[in-house]
Amino acid sequence: MFTRFEEYAASSMLGHPDSPPRLQGKLLFAKEWEREVFGLALSLSKAGCFEWEDFRQNLIESIAEWEHAPCDGQPRWDYYERFFVALMKTLKVSGLLSVAELAILEPGPRHDP
Amino acid sequence: MSELFKYDDDREAESAAKVRALEALLIEKGVIGSDSVDTVLTHFERVAGPFNGARIVAHAWVDPAFKQRLLADTPKAIAELNLPQGMDGAEGEHMVAVANGDGVHNLIICTLCSCYPWPVLGLPPYWYKDPVFRARGVREPRAVLREFGVPIAEDTEVKVWDSSAQIRWFVVPERPAGTDQLGEDELAALITPEAMMGVALVPSPTASSSTP
Repeated sequence: MFTRFEEYAASSMLGHPDSPPRLQGKLLFAKEWEREVFGLALSLSKAGCFEWEDFRQNLIESIAEWEHAPCDGQPRWDYYERFFVALMKTLKVSGLLSVAELAILEPGPRHDP
Repeated sequence: MSELFKYDDDREAESAAKVRALEALLIEKGVIGSDSVDTVLTHFERVAGPFNGARIVAHAWVDPAFKQRLLADTPKAIAELNLPQGMDGAEGEHMVAVANGDGVHNLIICTLCSCYPWPVLGLPPYWYKDPVFRARGVREPRAVLREFGVPIAEDTEVKVWDSSAQIRWFVVPERPAGTDQLGEDELAALITPEAMMGVALVPSPTASSSTP
């Protein structure tokens, strides 16, 4: 049993489809924004904004959506992009942000090269 | 990096901008503090992680008396080192160190689930939870170690330690040759979580230029 939220949260993902990238015992962030979005989700759940498990289910679903997308036009795999999508979905359900705020933050339609 | 895995700069910039906008909004609304994100990440980056295990092992290498105390009463010896808070948490208070050397090689697994000494080794690798690794680690540890690139001599005993909710094991690997002149920090930089699980050896810093 984990007594610290951070360890509970990370541990719950290990060995599952939402397992985060890591290297030699540490979380692997290729870019600063990846570190920020991971920390953001953890902070929000730790603050009681949503259940970590609810976020995880959204993340698993977001990853599955990418996996099931047709190859044509499928964007390059990006774990933390899926992570952000899941976080936005979780926030939408939580009612933490207004419709206007969500509209500003929602990912717009992409035009991948 | 091949073209296939090249980052799309526009897409990266877009993702970064979205995350920053979200964080800024949540801070502005008072949902989280300006330091909340760094605070939770500090746990993984500075409080509990493989850097602690590396410091413990490096100290054991340079101080044989400490090594003896570490093997005799691991939590008590670790407490001497003033490591970050969290080393005495639920995951750390039952840690036991075992040392490689003198004809013994130790391998850490967890047959039941994936118990692991987080405060000293950090996040477990993906294969640690794999049922095949767990089963084969018990049944044929020498074959498993060979596959990890760690062939064990016939006259070396392989001890397999099963981590559990009661005891979290970690390995004090052997100090590599050619490190007599290195300080503790330099030694710690050589030590990986895999070496402290027994699935890797600590390479000599001069290994690439010498014949094994």
